[in-house]
Amino acid sequence: MYETEKDLARSLVAGRIGRREFGRRMAALGLTATAAGSFSIAAARRAMAANFNWQAYKGQSIHLLLNKHPYADAMIADLDTFKSLTGMNVTYDIFPEDVYFDKVTAALSSRSTQYDAFMTGAYQTWQYGPAGWLVDLNDYINDASKTAPEYDWDDVTANLRASTSWSGVPGAPLGGPSSKQWAVPWGFELYCLSYNRRIFDQLKLEPAKDLPGLIEIAERIAKDAGGPYGIGVRGSRSWATIHPGYLSAYTNSGAQDFTVSNGKLTAAMNSPQSKAFNKLWVEMIQKAGPSNWATYTWYQVGTDLGAGASGMIYDADILGYFMNAGTKEAGNIAFAPITPNPQMSHPTSNVWIWSLAMSNFSGNKDAAWYFIQWATGKQHDLFGARKANLVNPVRNSVWKDPEFRARMAKNYPGYLEQFAIDSPDAKIYFTPQPLFFNATTDWAAALQQMVANQTSVDDGLDALANKIDRQLREAGIG
Amino acid sequence: MSDLAQAKLLSVPRMRRGALLPYLLTLPALLVCIGILVPFFVAVGYSMQRYNLAFPMGRSFIWFGNYIGLLTDPEFWRTVEVSLVYTVATVGIELLFGLGIALLLRDRNHLNNMISVALLLPLMTAPAIASLMWKLMTNPNFGVFSWALAQIGWPGFRWASDPHTAMLTVVLVDIWVYTPFIMILLLAGLRSLPQAPFEVARLDGVPAHFVFFRITLPMLFPYIITAALFRLLDSIQQFDIIYAMTQGGPGNSLLVFQVGAYLDFFQNTNVGRSAAELMILWAITYALSNLFVKQWYKLREKTHGAA
Amino acid sequence: MVRPDLLKLVLRGLALAAVVIFFLFPIFWILLMSFQTNTQILRLPPRLFFAPTLANYTALISGTLHTASGTLQITFLRNLGNSFLLSTCSVIVSLTLGVPAAYAFARFRFRLGENIAFTLLSFRFAPPLLVLLPLSLDFQQIGLSNTYVGLIWVYQLICLPLILWIVRGYFEDSSPDIEHAYRVDGHSWWRAFSRIAVPLARPGIAAAGLLAFIFAWNNFVFALILASADKQPVTVGALAFVTAAGIQYGQIAAAIVLSILPTLILALYAQRWLVEGLSLGAVKG
Repeated sequence: MYETEKDLARSLVAGRIGRREFGRRMAALGLTATAAGSFSIAAARRAMAANFNWQAYKGQSIHLLLNKHPYADAMIADLDTFKSLTGMNVTYDIFPEDVYFDKVTAALSSRSTQYDAFMTGAYQTWQYGPAGWLVDLNDYINDASKTAPEYDWDDVTANLRASTSWSGVPGAPLGGPSSKQWAVPWGFELYCLSYNRRIFDQLKLEPAKDLPGLIEIAERIAKDAGGPYGIGVRGSRSWATIHPGYLSAYTNSGAQDFTVSNGKLTAAMNSPQSKAFNKLWVEMIQKAGPSNWATYTWYQVGTDLGAGASGMIYDADILGYFMNAGTKEAGNIAFAPITPNPQMSHPTSNVWIWSLAMSNFSGNKDAAWYFIQWATGKQHDLFGARKANLVNPVRNSVWKDPEFRARMAKNYPGYLEQFAIDSPDAKIYFTPQPLFFNATTDWAAALQQMVANQTSVDDGLDALANKIDRQLREAGIG
Repeated sequence: MSDLAQAKLLSVPRMRRGALLPYLLTLPALLVCIGILVPFFVAVGYSMQRYNLAFPMGRSFIWFGNYIGLLTDPEFWRTVEVSLVYTVATVGIELLFGLGIALLLRDRNHLNNMISVALLLPLMTAPAIASLMWKLMTNPNFGVFSWALAQIGWPGFRWASDPHTAMLTVVLVDIWVYTPFIMILLLAGLRSLPQAPFEVARLDGVPAHFVFFRITLPMLFPYIITAALFRLLDSIQQFDIIYAMTQGGPGNSLLVFQVGAYLDFFQNTNVGRSAAELMILWAITYALSNLFVKQWYKLREKTHGAA
Repeated sequence: MVRPDLLKLVLRGLALAAVVIFFLFPIFWILLMSFQTNTQILRLPPRLFFAPTLANYTALISGTLHTASGTLQITFLRNLGNSFLLSTCSVIVSLTLGVPAAYAFARFRFRLGENIAFTLLSFRFAPPLLVLLPLSLDFQQIGLSNTYVGLIWVYQLICLPLILWIVRGYFEDSSPDIEHAYRVDGHSWWRAFSRIAVPLARPGIAAAGLLAFIFAWNNFVFALILASADKQPVTVGALAFVTAAGIQYGQIAAAIVLSILPTLILALYAQRWLVEGLSLGAVKG
């Protein structure tokens, strides 16, 4: 039983009761909703402060390396909470996304002590980890003296936790035994259809259920919509072209990037399933994709959707989210999942997880961990999801939050539904290995050649597989 | 120049005020630049190692292994081909274009001076940013150039996203940015040419094209060589424009030396291969520049001796 | 006869007009874009007349940009300041080192002279990345990592050879008679150099300085790799407008205009010496 408001608040924060229950009991004690709300925030702060010494590194400074991204903006907006909680001083360097990872590589490879923690994706840790530049954060997560009890690591979606941990052995499964947690998930995206409802209604279309249907609808839009092209997908000569919708559909079609046997990898881009799939994908781009497809990055794909130049995109759900505000087509974007393979029963969306990692050359590792656990903790995640643009949040509890759900349901039709269908099987479907960028950049280049008809799909994929096999052999992992 | 002045020029003794002086004057510059030699030799060292940052255990000396690997890689030869095509196209077209404009602006008057400064504006736009803007202007949906082409009956021009027109697009951007550089050098040259031979030619009724090919052009050669040399060095090392435009794509159609080396280091973390590529680039640049500079010296001797 | 001359004049005018349009139209278009909002820019067909806005410029100067996805902080003015600082200091250092050296090459015939000259020029041959990669891996140890001094030193790679080559040509081209006469009067070489040679060589120095400034200003990779965010020049800073929430073309355009301005002002100031200063050792009449 609960005796006082404070007890109630503490129970709420510790997750023993839900929000509705809390509000009901608070009302029973004679307190209004707003008072109840402020109680819980104060309780959160008190709880966080009381059980665990947040002030252990008071007065210390840490320096972050951040990408210019809405997640970073959300964190900066909330940074004062962290500063007052811990008494620490936090400074940061922001670099534009186009050059961000080059800067990270330059900083880490020079063993610079300048940066303590930084933003990264999982793929980058496949290079940084084996190079010895990252700290295995399992040491911190599993240490009760260093991590606050309400951190609740298990609250982070299981697939995301697994996707950001790897043992370092090429071909070993992500999240497998003796995996090191080289980065902690912070915000993520999965891949679905974001489409322009106005154009679809105009042509009386429904979002496609599978890839052949997608091609058909895209062609209709390109022909009959009076201007916009059918479907936007990325095409630049970069790994970023392979990992979004392309790989999701590729996996769904039953293809793999590598096969692993005896610890050695073999390229599998020329498997029959891959060839069949690639023929469809190339056809889709040629018939209904953007004419400048080969220079298309995330930005062009999104900008076109927002400006009404394309009927839909098969890319990140959050890209559609960003384009639904402040653009010409704001308010017209809707979301739908897609299972590209007619024989499959569910989507197999790849994910990109923006994460936080700790530099092995940092001189303030423990202090940096305090920052990382706060930024990926419940309080900040909730703040970012509700008030800023930390979408998609990585924590299950945040997805259950009514305020967040209400916000999404109101302005982003179909988003929550698509997420419910896509997220159970959403994880990284690549095989982890240090030559990831080598392989995927060559893969994108091959795709460009196929779309431009410089080579047939079969020949292009065969050549690609041979090339990658050679690189793997030279590196000793193939 | 009067006979007396000419005689004076030839008879001016070289100042011998302390054989040490010239060395002292050039020493600071040399010292500052010598510092560059350290990273240079370090890079040479890297190029002889099998060194991938993601495989720290595999780091070892393989001497010329990287070089042999590159020279036997057909993709590398493709890189050489693309770089040379780019260099020849840009330097060649810019020289012709720049010379033409310089000839148009030859006369000293207010309008010409204003135009010559205004034409420097593209040069002042950083190539990396210029690429970004050209990307927008050639965007098939919103780009003003794409729109203009569509108006004159050429819709759907693919600019940088089609392997056949990608080279054309980046060469165009390069021409836009760097022709003013050549123009201003050649204009300076034209304006500083002695008037006497031209006056004589005019009085003698020599036809214009003869004057141009037999008088103007030969006298202009030192300038042409200097302009070509500097442009050559920049063009064969081109990074900013191509990286900003397509990162070397579509396919491998624009993968020039420095773009390839950059990607090898920063994306593939292959330090050894990256260093080897850059060393080969350096060797090519050195050889070509040597050629040009020797020419320049020869010409200088000729003009100064014949005056 | 009047006819052929008139025809030539007209042709000449047309050719000049075509040239001016080719080079200046993109700049003009960028200028227009800087006064448009993003939605106006991303519109087909492109329009010449629109309702202008100063929002892009105010965003750059005030440092904040309000978009639908939140408020972004912009550090553009800081980038501009960095570019200015780096370029100006680099050129000043290059001139200080290069002008005396150019003088030495031009006036003295000394053994190793041509070798040293070629060596100094050959630093231009080194692909910037060749030097940059080891530097990025080792700068940390020499303590020059992330310092303006380190950057200015590396920038000499760009500025020094250019200045040497151009100023040397100018010195060679100018007659040593006056200096010789001055020396005969009993003055030291330093006075001959500083009182006579340098002032006479002003056009060459101005031209070389301006070109070196432009090339230093346009540089992209050095600061990116070797320095932290607060020392980045505009070339890197302009990329900050390529955000996850969309490319802010209006701000990029405004940023380009603002970044061209300092160089343009410098060029206008040095303009009268520019053409004269670039004579490179040809015989003067």
